[in-house]
Amino acid sequence: MPGNQCLRIQEVFSINFIFYFDFAVFSVFAMLFITEIMGSVMILIGWNKYRSGVLDYIVPVWEVTGTFAAFWVVASDFAFPNVLIPLANIFPGMIMLFLILFVARNSTIVFAEFIMKKGWLDERKLYSGYAISTLLIAVIVLIVLSGIIGGTGINLSSLSFSIGAWAVSAGGWLFLIGAVIIALGLAPVFYNVADMKKLTLPFTALGIVVSTVSLYFLSPGSFSSMVTIPIVMTILIPVLFMVQLLRKLVVNKLFFIGWGSIDLFTMNFMVYPNAFGNKFPVDPITTSGPLTGMYFVISSAGLIILTILIVFYAYAVRKKPLVA
Amino acid sequence: MSMVNFDRFLFAFTIASHIILVAMSISLILLITVLEYFNLRKKDDAQTDLIRRLKKVFIISFGVGTASGIVVAVELINLFPGFMTVVSETGIIGAFYLEIFAFFLETIALVLYVYFEGVFKSRYAKFTLASITAFGTLLSGVLITMVNAWMNTPNGFYFDTSNGLYSSTAKIIVTNVWAPLATVSTFSEIAHVLVTTVFAGTMLMGSYFAYRYIKSRDNKERGLFGSVLRKISGISIIGIVLAGITGSNEMATLLKYQPLKYAAMDLNPVSGSGFSERLFGYISNGRLVGAIQIPGLQAFLAKIETGMTQLPGLSSYPPSIWPPLWIHDTFDIMVSGGLLLGLFLFILFLFFVLRKDYVKNRVMLYFQIIMGFLAFLVYEDGWVTDEVGRQPWIIYNEMTVSQAANYSTSLLIPGYLIIAFYIIIIPVTFYFFARIFNSTGNAGQPVSPNPRGVQH
Repeated sequence: MPGNQCLRIQEVFSINFIFYFDFAVFSVFAMLFITEIMGSVMILIGWNKYRSGVLDYIVPVWEVTGTFAAFWVVASDFAFPNVLIPLANIFPGMIMLFLILFVARNSTIVFAEFIMKKGWLDERKLYSGYAISTLLIAVIVLIVLSGIIGGTGINLSSLSFSIGAWAVSAGGWLFLIGAVIIALGLAPVFYNVADMKKLTLPFTALGIVVSTVSLYFLSPGSFSSMVTIPIVMTILIPVLFMVQLLRKLVVNKLFFIGWGSIDLFTMNFMVYPNAFGNKFPVDPITTSGPLTGMYFVISSAGLIILTILIVFYAYAVRKKPLVA
Repeated sequence: MSMVNFDRFLFAFTIASHIILVAMSISLILLITVLEYFNLRKKDDAQTDLIRRLKKVFIISFGVGTASGIVVAVELINLFPGFMTVVSETGIIGAFYLEIFAFFLETIALVLYVYFEGVFKSRYAKFTLASITAFGTLLSGVLITMVNAWMNTPNGFYFDTSNGLYSSTAKIIVTNVWAPLATVSTFSEIAHVLVTTVFAGTMLMGSYFAYRYIKSRDNKERGLFGSVLRKISGISIIGIVLAGITGSNEMATLLKYQPLKYAAMDLNPVSGSGFSERLFGYISNGRLVGAIQIPGLQAFLAKIETGMTQLPGLSSYPPSIWPPLWIHDTFDIMVSGGLLLGLFLFILFLFFVLRKDYVKNRVMLYFQIIMGFLAFLVYEDGWVTDEVGRQPWIIYNEMTVSQAANYSTSLLIPGYLIIAFYIIIIPVTFYFFARIFNSTGNAGQPVSPNPRGVQH
């Protein structure tokens, strides 16, 4: 076998498939969650105006988002067993707050679905509760993510996290603000709100600039020209939305979620091969040995089941479009 | 309270709350599937309406239960990171991972069943989707019980240490990745846990329907509730028989593979033979005091269940690894409660045999209400007995809870918040169950469409 071909095969086998699979699951979960964040913003800023369009999407999908969250958590447990003790020590409070908010999110939306007005409690208040819980979860997730990307607020030697140290770092705040602005920019696209058409491009562009700067501040060592891929993919969404002919494509929810998931996936270079501000190599903490085989067998079988279920789901959505 | 005890308490509290929702969800979806099956055979508008109402209750139970399940899963990582590290480095992580796909099956089938009723219109499609949802729900239960069985009788790995026990520097050597999915206690535990979960949830629903039947003045509604009660009682009678058989099998497994836990549950101070069955009592200076004894019963049961005549006693083990001995009392309460439930259901069975309608007997209905709550107390009590009986181990004879726990004090405030949150959310959820069930039209009348146009 020629030398360079041998080298290429070696390279293929040295790819950390487990990391990429885990990141792909994270990307889908994050994208589904982002669509809920966007919906939450719409609920809070214009209940009467956007209620129907937002709820027709969110009501059947929020359970699937939760399931993808669980998928990512368990897949990560499996993939990176040695990171559990450090993470549990670094973010115990954050994780517990996340849990409280997660129960609040699920309870309020499920109660809101069927509530009949009685006394002070009504559908709107419960959906607002859902929206606020979702946005607070987003804040926690973004703080934790900024920590994982840049090590912001984290002391790896004492395995602790200081919200004070996070709060004084520009990178962390910019990461949070950038994500919020992008969500505001893309929400009108996803929920096909024509009267906010003019806001989408400037908001998304501003969000991208802020997020890019934040990524540089968070982890200058991981920052590379690769960042242009998610930038282009993100900016294309509002651009396509502006073009009358292509709008139909980009407001299609399945397309948007698929595109967004790929977009997020391209950002894996910020945590791989090194996370926590380029200080923590990922390969040595990835599961290895006999468990790898089990991981691939169950993942493959599970993905087949999941694909069949998603095909059925897509069929049902096509027959009864979710877009209002 | 030490941090390790706080972790214990918080997790115990969370899971004790969570299993209420689990039992409700599993029994609800099974009841819905049974009703869909009857609808297949004979379309009945009143029954269709009842299914719609139960589906809404199930969605609430599922929604809150899902979140609660994620709380349990993440708490395991957060409160017992050492344990989850071992789990993630052995084949039992496969059960957690498989559970995710069971969860997907349940979630997506449920979404299709509830929100896309207009697409899957035929009764066969509805029955199929309800069955898939029920299958996914049961499978989730099976897989998580596999993890618990592995904690009781671990296999497929060993710690590379001088004494074979866990230490913070121990290397985990995996000997078989798939073995943890089928330990010596897996099948007996799954059988008992599933049967008792369905039983407890079904009995609790029986309480509600009996209450509604007594309160209702609408003959149509009473007819419908009466019909559901008869189905529920049928499921319950089968359930109690199976609970007895699987419970007996569980004891046999304990005797063979967790003799110390068995000795604590039966309060045997020393090893020996010909033991009586001891109800309540306690051990003082190595002797049994204050127990009601049924001569030879324990030895007889052990002989027919396992063929063993020599029974284990606590004195064979160092007291440092004894579980708290009050599990003997919780065990006795569980068995006594089970016998009471069995007696009630036997009387119910006699009604069936004599072709009398128990639903028309008010006293039986009042008992049905009480027994539903008793079933749930027994269910929770059984869980306490099982979990406390494994103490001080988190992985039996391998790793202690203290070695697995998270000692970070930053868990305290959010932990208390989680407890406060559960204290509110469980009653509120049950309040919503009743409110939603009652507010969605009377039996036999069509439910008005949801204002948003989502079909239920």
